[in-house]
Amino acid sequence: MNLLFKKKKYLVGILLAVLAVCLLNFFQKEVRSFFYSFSSPIQKVLWRAGDRTSDFFESIIKTGSLKSEIEGLRNENQELLAQNAALKNLKEENEILREALGIGLQKDFRLVLSQIISKDVSRDFILINKGSEDGILKDMPVITQKKVLVGRISEVYENFSKVMLISDKKSSFNAEILALDGGEQREDISGVIKGKGNFGVLFDLVPMEKKLFQGDVVITIVLGGIFPQGLLVGEVREIKKVDVEPFQQAEIVPFFDLSQAETLFVILEF
Amino acid sequence: MIKKILISIVIFYILVLLQTSFLVHFSVWGIVPNLILIAIIFWNFFEKKKSYLGLYNALIGGFFLDIFSNKFISFYILISLTLAIIIKLIFRKHVQIPFSKKA
Repeated sequence: MNLLFKKKKYLVGILLAVLAVCLLNFFQKEVRSFFYSFSSPIQKVLWRAGDRTSDFFESIIKTGSLKSEIEGLRNENQELLAQNAALKNLKEENEILREALGIGLQKDFRLVLSQIISKDVSRDFILINKGSEDGILKDMPVITQKKVLVGRISEVYENFSKVMLISDKKSSFNAEILALDGGEQREDISGVIKGKGNFGVLFDLVPMEKKLFQGDVVITIVLGGIFPQGLLVGEVREIKKVDVEPFQQAEIVPFFDLSQAETLFVILEF
Repeated sequence: MIKKILISIVIFYILVLLQTSFLVHFSVWGIVPNLILIAIIFWNFFEKKKSYLGLYNALIGGFFLDIFSNKFISFYILISLTLAIIIKLIFRKHVQIPFSKKA
């Protein structure tokens, strides 16, 4: 009898605790914000430590393939230098034309620097250390210092924000293939970037007649008004064509690497 | 019991911080093992049959997972409690594990 009472006491205790926690859903923002505020200093340290440790192990694992990688990068560098020279000429020409037409130069983005604190347990969301107090609003784009698109703000707390990565299953936006490829003009190819979860990204709804190539660079377009024009998204890895389908798809390797990133920028205005 | 629960709170808090900020850098194909669920499974497997601390641990671990995830609070609590109950009340009644505590 005594044992049964004790057993019931524990089970009732657990049930009451579950009910109490369920009630916390009414104050979700406040509860989460409270935990994030005192956890963030420890999380920042852990994030940095994880970054350094993974870099160390990565350098050991990759020692063998380093030589071929350096050679590949040298070749790529030379190609990029040539492309850069061509682009500089175009930029100068563009500036002269803009001046002649009386159009001002494109404004730079208004940015807020932020730091990654943690990643969501199950989905492609990250937490950054800037929130509504820093002028951050829902749906603002988040980029790296190299203008690589990371995602957009999905939830804003007072001093923290949750960022939905472009690889999250709920993320989708319009994008196109970078038209200038090695100095040659390419046809306009646009489609929709969809997240697949687990850092996977798909370039979908590309008309069948358009020619995609491995290594094509995907950038954002203004259509839809979610992101500014020209943010880097990723590189085409694998093209999937099925004859009966009206559209083709392509697997994208995102330029954004969460394990290498520490600081991000939120675009307040574009 | 209360002392044990407090220790569990500290341990699960450390685990969730490691999970969300440190282990992220060691993901393989985007997958990171869920330390908290693993801890809950192990605890319920190897604790005394009559002890209820495993269920409390499931509650604490689930709560921390909820806080650091994008789901509604109590989503992971329900998952971890179900897991603990399955292990404790059903599985362990019918399966004898050599190293688990019997009393």
